[in-house]
Amino acid sequence: MPSMLAPPAVLPGLYFDGQQGKGHAVQLHLDGIALRIVGDGIDRTVALRSMQWPERTRHGVRIAHLDGGGSVQSSDSAAWDDWCRTAGLHDSLVVRLQQSWRAVAVSGVLLVALVVALQHWGVPVAARAVVALTPRTVDAAIGDYTLGAVDAQLMQPSALPAQQAQHVHDALAKAVAGMSAGSVPQWNLVLRASKLGPNALALPNGTIILTDDMVDMVDGNEDVLVGVLAHELGHVQQRHGMRMLVQVAALGAIASAVVGDFSSLLASVPMLLGQASYSRQAEQEADAMAVDVLRHAHLSPAVMVTMFDKLAEWRRRKELEAKAKAEERQAKESRESPESAAQAGESSETTQATTGTPASPDASAKEPGAPSKDDAQSWLGIAFASHPADAQRVQFFQEAARNTIR
Amino acid sequence: MTELTLPMPLGAAPSFEDEVPRWGDFADTQPAPATTLSIAFTGSGSEYFRIWIVNLLLTLLTVGIYYPWAKVRRLRYFHGNTLIGGAPLGYHADPKKMLKGYLLVSVLLLLYSGAGHFHAVAGLIAFIAVMLIWPALLKSSMQFRLANTSWRGLRFRFTGDLRGAYWAMTPLFLPALCLVASLVFVPDKNKPPLWYGYVTAAVFGAIALLFPWLLQRLKAYQHNHYALASQHTRFQATVGMFYRLYAKMVGVYLLVMVGVGILVAVVGIVAAVVARTSPKLFSQGFNEKSVWFVVAMVVVGLVMMLMFVALIKPYVTARMQNLVWAHTRSDDVRILSTLKARSMLWLSVKNWFLVVCTLGLYWPFAAIARARMQLEAIGIASQISLDSLVQHGRATEGEAAGDAAGDLFGLDIGF
Repeated sequence: MPSMLAPPAVLPGLYFDGQQGKGHAVQLHLDGIALRIVGDGIDRTVALRSMQWPERTRHGVRIAHLDGGGSVQSSDSAAWDDWCRTAGLHDSLVVRLQQSWRAVAVSGVLLVALVVALQHWGVPVAARAVVALTPRTVDAAIGDYTLGAVDAQLMQPSALPAQQAQHVHDALAKAVAGMSAGSVPQWNLVLRASKLGPNALALPNGTIILTDDMVDMVDGNEDVLVGVLAHELGHVQQRHGMRMLVQVAALGAIASAVVGDFSSLLASVPMLLGQASYSRQAEQEADAMAVDVLRHAHLSPAVMVTMFDKLAEWRRRKELEAKAKAEERQAKESRESPESAAQAGESSETTQATTGTPASPDASAKEPGAPSKDDAQSWLGIAFASHPADAQRVQFFQEAARNTIR
Repeated sequence: MTELTLPMPLGAAPSFEDEVPRWGDFADTQPAPATTLSIAFTGSGSEYFRIWIVNLLLTLLTVGIYYPWAKVRRLRYFHGNTLIGGAPLGYHADPKKMLKGYLLVSVLLLLYSGAGHFHAVAGLIAFIAVMLIWPALLKSSMQFRLANTSWRGLRFRFTGDLRGAYWAMTPLFLPALCLVASLVFVPDKNKPPLWYGYVTAAVFGAIALLFPWLLQRLKAYQHNHYALASQHTRFQATVGMFYRLYAKMVGVYLLVMVGVGILVAVVGIVAAVVARTSPKLFSQGFNEKSVWFVVAMVVVGLVMMLMFVALIKPYVTARMQNLVWAHTRSDDVRILSTLKARSMLWLSVKNWFLVVCTLGLYWPFAAIARARMQLEAIGIASQISLDSLVQHGRATEGEAAGDAAGDLFGLDIGF
């Protein structure tokens, strides 16, 4: 702050008038309110408020920009800083923080805490708020568009008899009939044949896609299908698809603010991890809804355990099929050329991994094939997984079944 | 970080690092008719690290409102540490003005990213709108950036006009126009027919082929319109030069890919041999195997991308900088750029290694090191005395929105 009575501090410097590239050696007088520039044929007084004053840094030349062009400069930064201090000018808080390693360390810790807090609470809460403000018509428009895109790329018309589809529909309608009015969103069930395998998808407009393979896998058991569909209903109810869109955008903004300047590739790693964690939370919320619906319908949550058992069985079968196919090919290839046997071993792995990937009932519409994991408890698998481990979910449903009073 | 010893400027201009009275003499020295100015960069990684951490924290705490202030501080640090012939560059943009620009562009960006989720056509319209606005944003952002940059008290100017900006984009607009025009003949937008796929492929092929031309037009638009006092720059690099560089880049890319291919093959063979000798390793549960397979795929994908950014990008950056700046000159000033692709490559590998090892903490150091290498490779030869530079009139500032757009859309508009 200005100290009016102190004599003006003086510093030799260089003055550029903004019209010519020629610099003038001058004496700079500073009194806290104004800067007086005195040199050979130059005597100019400028109010400090009209200038852009430089900040203290350890490296770099001090330049004060004059309003309307021109500047005064000094290469002796230490002398400049002393000069400012003598005249009663103080560093801003930001500059003081920047120049102190201790403050930087504290800032670093705060930064990490802030990023973790944002990822954990901030972004999900903000997404809820944004989605709550978004009219349902937006969900409908996005859902309609996604259904069109999914139908064109992944789905064929269902091969099951229309009667069976009607039965599944009625079973779900009956199950949710007893629920309170606000707790069940509008829904619309469609059946499709798909290369996704046994699966179910929920779209933001309330459309639930059930694959033929899923119906076949549980032998058309309607109780189990109600559980699967109630899980999807949970996604619709919680508007997970919409929330995910907002969360991904927010995460992207944060990630690019933190490391985006260096590389967008680097920024995509925390985004991937954060997204997977949100997705796991969404699955848990949807599972809770499934239990809720099943209980209201006087069905045991254990039907979901049946579903997971069937799923594991289905995967084993697929694995065996793939292995048989690969062995057949390997045998054939090693008959043809002994050298290529090594490669065959490699490719058999590929076939297995790609044929049997995702089969657990799926959340958001555009989810790519995430690996399912029964017993792969490695941290890497968990970090990248978009679903909680099957074992964990089975346990959840078993417990729910035990606690259900029938 | 230790103090840097600056390379002495080659010409008559004394170093800025001398004690003040002597440096004051510099104003009165008459440089020889032919002056050579070298560029020294005095920024320090550790100091920029401190600036980065504090400003990043403030930006996040204020939900991004503080970003323009952080950006101005960053640019002031880089400019103030760039000494051309001993005199630093100045940057004096007003963060408040930039904030308005950012808010405007954020709204645009939200509309743009939101549109694609509703309808394919809405997304397309938003894309076309951005494409149409982009040249105007490019022009005003160049104007803003240059008008807020000064050297020896003289403000830079960008003299490009709107028509030139659109003209520069024609190599991209023409194929894109074909794509949009043929959309009229598609009956169901959600199920485009097969021929539309071919048209799309052809258009993207054409854009890939026309890319060097587009780049040359854009660089010509920028480098033909820089001005400082009475000096106006001209750009003399031809389209042919850009195509030659592009061809070389493709060559380097193929070379790197062959290298990666050999690497993958070796790993594959080793894995196969291991699988053969100890089959137990691979006969665990199917699900676990698929997890590891996906992880392996992700790692291979990341390595491929890392190869690109760590190996090919520095090569292109070095060659492009040399090509573009060595062919930029004004009546009395020539610019030289002798950036070695090999040095850039080595620096990039080192930066990436350390950034990954430190989980990103090294990146301010990397940014400083990269700026130093790129800037110090540039030299300036002037036929006239720098004291005789005289500015007529004032530079127009342009819209801060343009500068903001360049940041958010991730476009390279820096110079």
